[in-house]
Amino acid sequence: MPQERKIPWVVKYRPSRIADVVNQEEAKKVFLGWLDSWLRGKPERKAALLYGPPGSGKTSLVEAAAKEYGLELLEMNASDYRRSSDIERIAVASSRGASLTGARSKIILLDEVDGISATADRGALDAILNLIDKSAHPVVLIANDPWDPKLRELREACLLIEFKRLTKTEIKKVLQSICKSERLECEDEALEFIAERAEGDLRSAINDLEALGEGFGRVTYALARSVLGYRNRELDSFEVVRRILTSKYAWQARAAASQTDLAPDELIQWINENIPRQAADPEDLWRAYESLSKADIYMARIVRSGSWDLLAYASDMMTAGVALAIRNPQYKFKWVKYSFPERIRVMAKTREVRQIRDDLAKVIAQHLKCSTAVAKSEVIPLLRVIFENNPEYAAKLALGLGLSDSMIRYLSERNGDRIAKRVEELRVELRKSLLEGLESPTKKGVEKAEAPAKKALGKKGAKSSGGLESFFKK
Amino acid sequence: MGARSTLAELLWAEKYRPRSLREIVNQEEIVKRLQVFVKEKNMPHLLFAGPPGTGKTTAAHALAHDLYGEDYRLYMLELNASDERGIDVIRTKVKEFARSKLPANVPFKIVLLDEADNMTADAQQALRRLMEMYVDVTRFILIANYPSKIIEPIQSRCAVFRFTQLKKEDVISRLKWICSNERVSCDDRGLEAIYEVSEGDMRKAINILQAAAALGEVNVSNVYKVVGLATPAEVRALLKSALFEGDFLKARENLRKLMVTYGLSGVDIIKQLHREIFSSEVSIPEEMRVEIADYLGEIQFRLVEGADDEIQLSALLAKLVLLGKPLRQQPQAKPTKVK
Repeated sequence: MPQERKIPWVVKYRPSRIADVVNQEEAKKVFLGWLDSWLRGKPERKAALLYGPPGSGKTSLVEAAAKEYGLELLEMNASDYRRSSDIERIAVASSRGASLTGARSKIILLDEVDGISATADRGALDAILNLIDKSAHPVVLIANDPWDPKLRELREACLLIEFKRLTKTEIKKVLQSICKSERLECEDEALEFIAERAEGDLRSAINDLEALGEGFGRVTYALARSVLGYRNRELDSFEVVRRILTSKYAWQARAAASQTDLAPDELIQWINENIPRQAADPEDLWRAYESLSKADIYMARIVRSGSWDLLAYASDMMTAGVALAIRNPQYKFKWVKYSFPERIRVMAKTREVRQIRDDLAKVIAQHLKCSTAVAKSEVIPLLRVIFENNPEYAAKLALGLGLSDSMIRYLSERNGDRIAKRVEELRVELRKSLLEGLESPTKKGVEKAEAPAKKALGKKGAKSSGGLESFFKK
Repeated sequence: MGARSTLAELLWAEKYRPRSLREIVNQEEIVKRLQVFVKEKNMPHLLFAGPPGTGKTTAAHALAHDLYGEDYRLYMLELNASDERGIDVIRTKVKEFARSKLPANVPFKIVLLDEADNMTADAQQALRRLMEMYVDVTRFILIANYPSKIIEPIQSRCAVFRFTQLKKEDVISRLKWICSNERVSCDDRGLEAIYEVSEGDMRKAINILQAAAALGEVNVSNVYKVVGLATPAEVRALLKSALFEGDFLKARENLRKLMVTYGLSGVDIIKQLHREIFSSEVSIPEEMRVEIADYLGEIQFRLVEGADDEIQLSALLAKLVLLGKPLRQQPQAKPTKVK
């Protein structure tokens, strides 16, 4: 499967120096002070717990500090350290590392510790406490919500460092500088809008900007509104999708889904969009889609029957079902570029042409007394054939049906202009022959063409299609 | 083509639609009974059931025409339930019309609900009540492909008329008559081909006839050319990228184009794919054609259950990518590429 190996902007623009980490001066001071105390060899607390809202710079600060201090970063995600044996392995590595080289060369970073389940992962919590106790290197834990009761013991073992929610102005400033580097033209109101709805989450703001910039080239306020406006504030949808699709256990996928404000029918679109980006193996792809398809069927049954109890199963199938179907992910998750549901983008991009198509379907439906669905699937394709192959006849039809120029161009890109011009000529001719009086030799033909048109258009038809009215408008 | 003096043209399916019951040549039994309603100026609620293109809508309009004359639309509310299917339409538009005062010169008004089998169950319940309450001033004509999708209490309030599939001779003689009126040359094999591809659906047959005539004359090659051209290229492209190239993302792009730009429904696309996989121009191993058809049926069933078009068709694409794996692995599979 062809896959562009583009670096997501959140990775590309991750701060490489401590000074680049936006704001959080207080947190920086405390964190660096603690790190210095480690390097001097006398830490007050062996571990630090960085906490704060998503996208406020916790991981970024640790990474930037590691870089600047020349420390190796040993990073683990919630999914990696669920088993206590994994954590023990690190613990061993970290203590041995110190004794062999004598250098304090590492930071051990445990991300997403609030993702650990208190009951199922009791062993994991103990193992982390043990790791903190034994470690010869600074241990950093990261969490969104440190006040979770299950983290009590960890809290007590750590130095707590709070990250503030970023302000709108701070976020906007970062977005502006990214626009500049990417040479992306972006309306000020659009940036304002993105920053506003990010509610302090810089990562989601950057993701939003990238989604808009990539799809459209130029970012306007109207575009930002129509693409982003449909959902409310959520826990970064990209992050939720990443967590779901990279889950190794059912509980992880389900927990990730519970952390989003996306409605189930939106979430299923996000997952639908991104399955093929995660699953490269045809077996995986098919299994994942069978699962998503089942989730979708449950959703349909909910709508039909009104039994919301089924939602639990729909949710299981679209999260855990999909995640576990992907057994051989081809790319390391960091490099998978997740996307906005393209459907929503496409809908915004094609609004105009869909409008023309729907109007055309209405005109036809009225003439043929059928539904617009039948007009679209049965009649429009045949009209296309006529418009592509017989422009003269097409012009007569366009006149008789009262099609607008844009409808004519919709039916034939190739001949559109020519047919539209011919319709004008026919219209003039028709008008002339009507004015020439009833004795005119062409009278018969005109009447013949007109009579059924008048009948068919009736009162309603004339209003919407403008057929007969437009004969006389000049 | 035909009358050169004509400046404006219409779709023939409209131009040659019978206006009065007298002009309808098929469904003799039904027409006879409808003419009795006209004569007595009275009728029960009616349910017209039968396959598409068998004259249900035409009969309903002709009936109203014969009852009220040329301006029959003044006394009739027409709704297509597949475009306006919700309960709100029933509660507002239909209710308002049904209970409005009866004009002095007519015995009752008519509400015509086309594709009524697409109405939601709630809307049908609301409709049932209206049918009872205003029966003295308003009669309903319901039209449906599948009468079983109309709830029992409505069925029992209607006189049910079952429209049968049109006979081959009848369709062909009608097409011939149109051709002679339009002064278009046609041959029998061409007309038979139209009957075959339109599956007895008169409206479809006339539409194809008109498009074939626009290519010059109505013969077999033009008929199949029209049908081929009317199938968007994206249908074949989708099959090619999924099955032969294993490129899911590209196939999905085509899928979206079909749905968004062409406005095709999931079921439309499945039907077109169904035609494609059995086409002689697409070389797929025989047993695989059957395997794909089986899965198409499964997906269509899910869609009928109310599932989402894009998700279900994406599942189909994933299946095609998987099925096509052996084709892509053998290099000699080259000649099996889609043209």
